[in-house]
Order: sequence, then structure tokens, then C-alpha cells
Amino acid sequence: MNTKLRVSEISKIYPGCVANDEISLEFGSGKIYALLGENGAGKSTLVKILSGVVRPDKGEVFLNDKSIKLNSPLDAKKNNIGMVFQHFNLFETLSVFENLSIDSDKKNEELRLSVNNILKKYNFKIDLDIPVLNLSAGQKQKVEIIRCLIRNPKVLIMDEPTSVLTEQETEDLFVSLKQFSDEGILIIYITHKLKEVLSLCDEVAVMRKGKVVSVSETKEEKIETLANKMVGENLSTIKKKINNFKYSEEILKISNLNFRSDDPYETNLINLNFSLKKGECLGIAGISGNGQSELFQILSGEIITEYTSIKFRDKEISKLNPRERREYLMAFSPEDRISQAAVPELKIYENVALNNFKSSNFFEKGLVNEKKIKEHSKKILSNFSVNTDNVEMKSQFLSGGNLQKLIIGRELITSPELLVCFNPTWGLDVGAINYIHETLININEQGKSSILISTDNDELLKLSDRICVIYKGKLSKIMDVNEVTPEKLGILMGGGSID
Amino acid sequence: MIKIEKRNDVSPSIYFLTPILAIFLTLFGGGIIFYVLGFNPLEALKFFFITPISDLYGFSELLVKATPLCLIAIGLSFCFKSNNWNIGAEGQLIFGGIVGGGVALLFYGHDGFYVLPIIILAGAIGGMIFAMIPAVLKTYFNTNEILVSLMLVYVAKLLLDYLVVGPWSNPEGFNFPETRQFSESARMPTLFDGLRIHAGIFITLITVFLSWLILYKTYLGFQIKVSGLSLKTAKYAGYKGKTMIIIVFMISGACAGLAGVGEITGPIGQLHRNISPDYGFTAIIVAFLGRLNPVGIIFASLIVALTYLGAETAQIFLQVPKYTGQVFQGMILFFLLGSDYLLFFKIKFLGLKKNEL
Repeated sequence: MNTKLRVSEISKIYPGCVANDEISLEFGSGKIYALLGENGAGKSTLVKILSGVVRPDKGEVFLNDKSIKLNSPLDAKKNNIGMVFQHFNLFETLSVFENLSIDSDKKNEELRLSVNNILKKYNFKIDLDIPVLNLSAGQKQKVEIIRCLIRNPKVLIMDEPTSVLTEQETEDLFVSLKQFSDEGILIIYITHKLKEVLSLCDEVAVMRKGKVVSVSETKEEKIETLANKMVGENLSTIKKKINNFKYSEEILKISNLNFRSDDPYETNLINLNFSLKKGECLGIAGISGNGQSELFQILSGEIITEYTSIKFRDKEISKLNPRERREYLMAFSPEDRISQAAVPELKIYENVALNNFKSSNFFEKGLVNEKKIKEHSKKILSNFSVNTDNVEMKSQFLSGGNLQKLIIGRELITSPELLVCFNPTWGLDVGAINYIHETLININEQGKSSILISTDNDELLKLSDRICVIYKGKLSKIMDVNEVTPEKLGILMGGGSID
Repeated sequence: MIKIEKRNDVSPSIYFLTPILAIFLTLFGGGIIFYVLGFNPLEALKFFFITPISDLYGFSELLVKATPLCLIAIGLSFCFKSNNWNIGAEGQLIFGGIVGGGVALLFYGHDGFYVLPIIILAGAIGGMIFAMIPAVLKTYFNTNEILVSLMLVYVAKLLLDYLVVGPWSNPEGFNFPETRQFSESARMPTLFDGLRIHAGIFITLITVFLSWLILYKTYLGFQIKVSGLSLKTAKYAGYKGKTMIIIVFMISGACAGLAGVGEITGPIGQLHRNISPDYGFTAIIVAFLGRLNPVGIIFASLIVALTYLGAETAQIFLQVPKYTGQVFQGMILFFLLGSDYLLFFKIKFLGLKKNEL
């Protein structure tokens, strides 16, 4: 059985973001294909189109040279395309068998027979009659895979399947996937983990910002080359900033930062130690999902961890919440600007009031000082060139770039000593990116420090004074930006080590 | 093909006009029900909505019913605005009534201006404590406040039952399930001779004003608003989430407790089994009909109070059961939710495109 799957000039545009831009790819059975890319590169949109969840604005999908319409997940099933999502779609309190029978049209005895055959054939050890909640993550994933296998799929799509698996479960999964592939099932494997691509897949397509930037055989690739393709290597326009504060006093010292989470979708952080000098920008690179979000939340005080020591100007602040940390003149700009850093339904001036530095006196004696907040907001709008002067406007009507200017402006206008920002230019247009980069360089030149957690290597190399890489919750050694090359970053981001 | 899409731009004026639309739809729906039952719809609606308030006594009765409804609803708006679903105001009302009534019985035969304020305070504290149970369980043990607050309603009801049948029953009461009539010093003063409207209305109006002040002019109100819209943002801003949950439940419980004590010291004058015709539940409708806005809640409470009165009049003149009132309350909520859905989402009817066939 030979299967060929071809997507031709697929485009999908969401308001303010081109998720897929004229994507054409070809897949053939007997091989395992990797679709590699950062979060937001467009790979999820593409597989959602293939599984009928999202309809493309343009373009066609061909299965064995026949154009197919995928208007709903049902159409995908009819065309024998199976998909295992990153988050499981199982009813926890129902038994494994009941979960499998929900979307099957076979009779119960028949279904049990075919499920047992699958279990035997692939050596899966799962009790069909216990509730799903008693299964490990790996077993739950097997249930999802069985659900696809019952329908004899020609194509099997796996979306970031190893994010919740242990090492052993990952190995088992790879064995199964190779077996499926040998049997002629076409496998598309979505991931941002470089090592997995090299150990499992035959061909790899790298996506970046909605486009396919390369298609190649994995044997021609190395971790560094893939990493560079994934995060971009266009370093020609870098302008170095002038920094006079390199050997000044230390203002932040983190020691023994550890974080353990019960949530399998979160990353544990293991023994992080670093410090920051006045006027310095420390860049933290890494492929997303390696603990950046957890690190940001610990720095901002949204997560309080035991035993960690965070000293800001020699004062222990590790037990303070974000509001209390702001009183020490720390400022934070989170990754999720739409639903965390601001509330879309609130007016601009109300969003400004979220960040209440003591010195700004927004709330005197518990009362809202609307006049002061509005004056302050007007100042932010003009100083940070947000394209409106109407502080009564709801912030949902601001474009991504203007919203980010508002947020950075809100954080910076009271001259904090330290700004921690996480992917500050994610999804913005070039103009806004340049503006924010200039702003971040300016604050360093004024003697303020910053920590830049970013998945964009260009940005990191442009703005940082020192850089380190976070991988699986651990920090690499911290390097001076002059001794860092994109190749070195690539190795570290893929989990390798340099001398 | 039918497609449902979210609307992005809902104008505030329409947002406050849809409750009025819901009321008209309710009148229309009610007319149809009366017609099916064999009445002239216009006449029946007149008996229901106009006759009850066509004299001074009726108008006073309207205010008597609106007083607790408005008070409870304003308290609930603190909870609902911050995404805390307190469904147990009825229980908090009853418990406030029990504590206030207990103090009133304790002062039986006492005279003095201080008696009533102490009773009122006791009622508020009673409601507050009862509301803190779901709040504390939610913050420290992750329980669901909807279930806990709802189930506590039955706890309060049964406790009241036990007290009026057993230890607190009137020694001269021939075993009727009720307490003594409270002393005059423990009664809410009435405002006019011959009318039941009492000073509780001032408590309600003052509470409405204070609530407006807190919700729109204070830091606490701002924090409640932000937490209601996005808990993630509230966390990022550093608001103390747990403390806030407890505070909104305390405010809400105190309001319900005040309403309870207002009823027993006002129109009722004693404790018995049925001190509230489900004011605590009906106030949920009032809160949403008033858009969780203090001024809106005042109007909503008057309209919903009218359904209570209308049901009584309809029972007398049309011989329909007084539960018709609940039918109308249900219709108001139904039409409000329905028009809200259409307010926030639009339904598109798409013809089948040729290439999809």
C-alpha cells in the first residue's frame, strides 16, 4: 500500500497574523516526516488543516493524487487521516474500552477483538477495563493511538507527542512509530525538539513565521544547522550598543532556583544560579518549552518557590508577590500580552493602572485616582508613540505592536531598575520590533538592567551583553556576547555541550 | 450551514437595553400563556402588572418586596463580578435571620434604641459568617463554591425548622412552628401609618450607594473587576486572590443577612418556617437583569418584585396559582440569557456553496 500526501499552496490568514503562507509539501509512505518549528511558526495550523479542524483560505490537499476536501474532522477520518493531539481527548472517568467505543461504529465484540489484535501486534500493555484516569501519560497516548489504528489509517499525524512522556515512554513510542512506518503508514511528526527529529525521522521540513524555510533529509542535518534554520540566522543587521556599565555593581542575584511542578505540561527548573549587573542585559536563549515560562513567573513573583533565593540590591525578595516586587522597582513584561499583561475588555487607562508602582499614586487611601491614572496614561501613549491618544479606548482595539508599546511603556515610565521581559517582540511587525529593540537598548544605556528571555536568536544577539541557554530546565554557562556564535547557541539549544 | 460567530463590538447602550427587551418579551410570552389558559391576555396582564400597584398600599408592597431583593442582588454583584458563583444567598439570608432573630428573642421585653441596631448587626454578621464557609473551603480546599453555597441553603432551612419547632418556639404558641412576636423595640419602624413599608429601604439604599462607591471608585473594586475579567492578569498584577474571594463572599453574605434580618424585624415580626419566598434565589435573576450595575439592580428589583405581587393578584382575580410569579421570573431570565447570546454572538446562515456539495 503506497500513500502519497501532498499539500499545495496552502494559506491561512488570521487577523493580524499569517499562520500559513503558500505552503507546499509532499509526503510518501514508508518514511517518517518531521515538521519542525518554533511555537507560532504555523505547524499546528497546518496539521489542523490536514485533520479537518481548520479550513484553509487557499490551497488544496491531495491524497494519492486525488484532491480531497477536509471540511471537518469527520472528513479526515473518512480519508484515513488519523491525528493524535498534544492534549488528550479522553474521558477520564470512563474505561479505556468505553473511550474507544465512543467514536467507533463497530459492534462491541468486534471492536474488542480488533483492539486486542492491535494490543498484541504492537505489544501494548493496557488493561481495557480500567478508568482512563488510572493510566500514565504514555498509556493515555497509546489509547489515542489505538483509536486511530482501529480505522486503519493511511496517514498518522502526531502533534508534539513527547512533551508529556518520560524518557522510557519516548523510546517505546519511537519503536512503535517505526513499526507503523514499516507497515506503510505515512507518519508526520510535529515537534520543536531537535534530537527527536534526528533520531526518529527520515525527512524534515522546517517552518518559520508561516513559511517552509527548508526541506531536507535528516542525515544531512545536524542539531546546530536545524536550530539555526528554526530560529533564523540572519545576523547581518546587528548594531551593537555602547555600554559603560559592564563592571558596575551587582543588582540581582539568584541562587539555588529550583522548581518542581505536578503539572506534566510544565517544566521543572533545576538549580539555576545567575546574577545581573547594573546596566546589563542578560539574554536567556532556548527553544520554547524548556522552562522559560516558569522562570519568568518565578522572577515576577507569580510563582513562589521554596528555598530559592532572589536578592535584589541585597534584599531578599523571593517571597514577595508581583505587586510587592514592583515597589522595589522591578518591572515585568510577560509573553502573553493579550490575556495576561493586559485585559482586552478594559480601557487603556485601566490597563495602565494594573501596574501600580507606589510612586505613581494611582490608588490613594484605597480610592481610584482616575485623573492621575489618565494623565499618566497620556504620557505613556505619547512617550512610547502608541498610535492613539484616547485613553478611554478599550485596549482590544490596539494592534499587537501598539499594545506591546503600551505594556512596555507602562512598565518603563516609572524608571524601574530592572525589566524582565519574555518574547517582547513575538508576532510584531518590523516597525514595532525595531522600536521595542531601541527602547530596550536605551534603558541599558541609562543604567537600568534587563533580563531578556527570548526564543529569537537575532534579538538576543542584538540586545544582550551576556547570553546563556536554557535547556530542559537547566541553564548553560553564561557567555559574553562577543564569544557567542549562532553555532554555539544552536548546539546548546539542542542539548549539546561546548567545551 | 449555520455558523455562530462572536461579535467584537457590543455597544454599551445596547448592552443595557437588552434587559428591557427581555422584559417586553416576557410580557409577550406571558400574554400567550394567559391566552392558552383561556383568559383575555391584555386583561390578565393588567391584573398581573398594573392592578397590584394602582394604589398607595400596592406601591408600598412593591417596595417591601423590592427592598430585600435589591439588597441581596447588590451583594451578589460583588461575587459575580469577580467570577465567584455564590448561589446560596437564600441560606445566608436565613442564617442572618436566625442570628438576628435569636438576638431579638434574647432582648425580648427589653426597651431601648440600641436593641434594633444590635439585631441588625447580628443579622449581617450571621449572613457574613455563613457565606465565609464556601469562601474558605474554596480558597483552602479547592471546593466548588456553587455546590457548597447551594447545599448550605438546606442546612440553614433545616436549622431554622428545628429552632422554630423546638427550642425557640413560642411557649404560648400552641405548638405552632413559630417564635414569639418580637418586642416593639426589635421591630423596624414603618414609614407611614397603615403601610408596611419600613426603614429597611434606607439600609438598602445606603448599601447600593456604598456598593457603587466600592465597585467603581476604590482599589478593591478595581481588583474585583480585573479578577472577574482575567484571573491570569490579576495574578500578574499581584492581587491577593484568596483574600479577595473571602472579601466578596463576606460582603455578599452580609447583604443577604441584612435582608433576612430586615424581613423578620420588618413585615414578619417573628421567626417561622417561611421567612423568605426564595428571595435569595430570585435575587440572582435581579442581579443579572440589572447587569450587575447598582442602578440597574434598583430597577430590576422593582420589576421582579412586581412579579411577586402580580402573582398574588392573579391568584385572587383569575384563580391561577401564585406560582405563575415564578413562571414570569423564569421567563425573564430565559429571555435575558437568550438576547444576551444574540448580543455577543451572531448567527450566520450560509447557503451551501456549490463546491461543497
